Amino acid sequence: MRAGWSYVGRRALFALITILVAISLNFVLFRLAPGDRTSALRCQGCTQEFKAQVRAEFGLDKSVPEQYLVYVKETATGNLGRSFLTQQPVLAELWKPIRNTIPMVLLGTLFAISLGLTLGVVSAWRRGTITDRASVWSGLLLYSLPTQWLALMLIFYAAGPLGLPTSDIADPYLAYENPGWWPELVDRLEHMVLPAATIGLVLFGEYTLITRSSMLESLGEDYILTARAKGLSNWQIVRRHALRNSLLPIVTLIFLSLGFILGGAILIETVFNYPGIGLQLYESVSERDYPMLQGGFLILTVSVILMNFIADLLYFRLDPRVTE
Amino acid sequence: MSPQELAEAVVPATADTRRRIPLWGFLKGHPQAAIGAAILVVFALVAILGPWLAPYGPREQVGPIFGTPSNPHPLGLDDAGIDILSLLIYGARITLIVGFAGALVAVVVGGTIGIVSGYFGGRIDNLLMRVTDYFLVIPDLVLLIVVASIWGRSLRNIIIIIGLVYWTFMARLIRSQVKVVRERAYVKRAQALGASHVRIITRHVLPQVLPLILAQTVLMVALAIFLETAISFLGLGDPNAPSWGRMIENAFDRSAISYGAWWAIVPPGLAVAIVIMAFNMLGTAAEDALNPRLKVSHLLRRHFRMRPLPDREDPR
Amino acid sequence: MSALAVEDLHVWFDLPGGRELHAVQGIDLALARGERLGLVGESGCGKTTAILAMMGLLPPSASVAGRVLLDGVDILAGGDRTMRPHRWTDIAMVFQGAMNAFDPVKTVGSQITEPLERAGIASGRAARTRTGELLELVGISAERQDRYPHEFSGGMRQRAAIAMALACEPKVLLADEPTTALDVMVQAQILELLVRLTDELGLAMVLVTHDLPLVSQACTRAAVMYAGRIAETGTTRELHHAPLHPYTRMLFQATPDLHGTGAVRSIPGAPPRLDEPTVGCPFSPRCDRAFAPCATTRPPLRSAEPGHLAHCHLEGGA
Repeated sequence: MRAGWSYVGRRALFALITILVAISLNFVLFRLAPGDRTSALRCQGCTQEFKAQVRAEFGLDKSVPEQYLVYVKETATGNLGRSFLTQQPVLAELWKPIRNTIPMVLLGTLFAISLGLTLGVVSAWRRGTITDRASVWSGLLLYSLPTQWLALMLIFYAAGPLGLPTSDIADPYLAYENPGWWPELVDRLEHMVLPAATIGLVLFGEYTLITRSSMLESLGEDYILTARAKGLSNWQIVRRHALRNSLLPIVTLIFLSLGFILGGAILIETVFNYPGIGLQLYESVSERDYPMLQGGFLILTVSVILMNFIADLLYFRLDPRVTE
Repeated sequence: MSPQELAEAVVPATADTRRRIPLWGFLKGHPQAAIGAAILVVFALVAILGPWLAPYGPREQVGPIFGTPSNPHPLGLDDAGIDILSLLIYGARITLIVGFAGALVAVVVGGTIGIVSGYFGGRIDNLLMRVTDYFLVIPDLVLLIVVASIWGRSLRNIIIIIGLVYWTFMARLIRSQVKVVRERAYVKRAQALGASHVRIITRHVLPQVLPLILAQTVLMVALAIFLETAISFLGLGDPNAPSWGRMIENAFDRSAISYGAWWAIVPPGLAVAIVIMAFNMLGTAAEDALNPRLKVSHLLRRHFRMRPLPDREDPR
Repeated sequence: MSALAVEDLHVWFDLPGGRELHAVQGIDLALARGERLGLVGESGCGKTTAILAMMGLLPPSASVAGRVLLDGVDILAGGDRTMRPHRWTDIAMVFQGAMNAFDPVKTVGSQITEPLERAGIASGRAARTRTGELLELVGISAERQDRYPHEFSGGMRQRAAIAMALACEPKVLLADEPTTALDVMVQAQILELLVRLTDELGLAMVLVTHDLPLVSQACTRAAVMYAGRIAETGTTRELHHAPLHPYTRMLFQATPDLHGTGAVRSIPGAPPRLDEPTVGCPFSPRCDRAFAPCATTRPPLRSAEPGHLAHCHLEGGA
């Protein structure tokens, strides 16, 4: 059994330090920016009590370094401030939209993975043929389309023919009819399809290209020639040797991209008016709800760090060469 | 050193520093790159000659809101009755300027850090790469949103942020290439002869790394345009810069969907997509040409062919 | 009957623009059981291509003519199709840089077991036992079969590659530069191993190398290749002390001798391009004994002793 603890430990430590850096960056951005955004002085609809509470909680009358320490401590204990708009704790307010975004993103990613990986492998296998050329070009094309534009195109040209809803997360009237969990679930899924499809299409191009080049790289390695010399058939070579080797970088890349896709979800949710964390962030901007913005930025950065950490772990599990 | 290594060390001293990739040959050999380059030339011309090419002004109302495409407005009118074709032509400028400027910042910052890190190695390298790691995790769009909403929606801010987010990719890539170049014999020779670091970097390292930097810059411009389009869509773009991204935003905000006014959305998006795709085509082809990592695949669908023995010329 | 016989083997590679590279231009080799034949030549002379062709491991851009006879049966006749059943079971290869011949994400043992199970020789626990025996044969302890390739040193991996090649008890072993990139001590071990295996198991082995002293040490006979053709074949003694072809002589003269006797003389010039047809003897521009017919007429086959042959216009040796 490989002594894996120090590797895992090191990556975990790195993740924690990065989170600390992210928190610090957050502090710098919001606290030290021109025009104080955090003291609620700029909040139109806030009461005096609220402003006083914020000042006390975050020590806004103390020196900057002290404020920093308070901020770190508060953040570490889960207190990300209070929304200017609702005066509720930011973390609680962010949780609802996050719960909406995650299934949508997962659905889209699953779609992208299954399609992209398959097409990438086939493409590498049939290198140089029409299939290969077509998938490379379509991958490149999809990769180049602006996400929000793709979403709009789906609304224009796919929603109608497929009879799919193009906004919100659920039919507001359905709840009144109280039809049971199945129709409600179907309704939810229907609302999720187009946004998820957009994510899927955006990612699929990238995944196809990555899988293809990773596969091609593996197929050029010496051990593939050895396998051929041993008399293995093409299919056996791919299944027993090439796949496992090329999947390693792909898996880690998928997790790395997952971290960033939450940012891309902002555009999609804006177009589809889907109440996820992306839309929440957008609305916080227009409503000048800075604590929410700050909290959202932190959550999204932390999720990227988390995904990176998971990618590191997976790489450790899958690649026997990674040791101390 | 074996005799062979010694020979290799001496001979390519001249060969390497003089190695240039002929541009024309490259374009001919890579149709992908040629198409990409052609498209970009067209767009560049449109951007430069904008005001002379556009039939109408960018703020000139010439018809009703969301006027349908017809002569003399082949692409219809936007939410303020302005000719979309003209907007598209004027928008080319802004989009390309932001793209290049943002990429330039990323390249300059990233390139410098990459070269320093790769050349000096050791502690400086470790420190810089640590910093890079921390920057890598920041989601690009979210950071841009935050900065734009706090520090204002100017073009300058957008360009700076694009640079700050993307320098990391540049830095890593350049660093690994610099490390390779640094080990080459002629660099070691120059060091042994006592040349200063600056001299070595500018005369030996930089020319070798420059093609890679250029190829990456091209890809970076694509990213920058992508980002600018995204941030404009979210209403945080520069209100005085009518880029293609803003056109899409305007249309969306003013309910182009309800009007069914696809002409307000499809052209600008398509324009962005084509330009980005052109940059990507050019950039990936250049990268492939510079990094011939792709080995021959040992997996074959066809096999070698058998043929009859050739006639012998002389009797054995 | 020879274990392996190659008759008039040609290999061409397609080049862009419809041209061809004639990499192997009609070579003949014969190898008996228990014999070690060295195949020597400069880089690019076609020796690696030749042995890859003997196993049919060429890319689709290649075309092949000639015969490869295993115990008298032409396995090359139907191209890849007739080759495949014989791979590893009758003829196996140890590659150049065998350090990378192993799949990094699988254990070394599983990669040796793989051909055993495929050929139906053994499976499950029997296969594991056999794998252990093979590793012991090359001087690696049996329990290391559950380790990964990166846990082996370069020399060990080379030995493991040899064990893997022997898994199905082939009649012929092709070794392509098996000792390059290994340090001298390890080189000696590997050579000793190869010699022992051919003696004990009756293997016929072709040892491809550019290292002449190696050939003198390990092989009884050798063939010298130049520009895709065989210049001279004979025992290593004959080639060293009574060469028939000037290239052979110059090769030995260009090799530094440990005793430091004599000057080291390199061979000036460069090999000819193989994408254009050669007129006359391919070595003539660099030969120090070239004369009138060398540049125009293809050199005939000359023989001094039985088994000692050369393609040269000179009579009476180089």
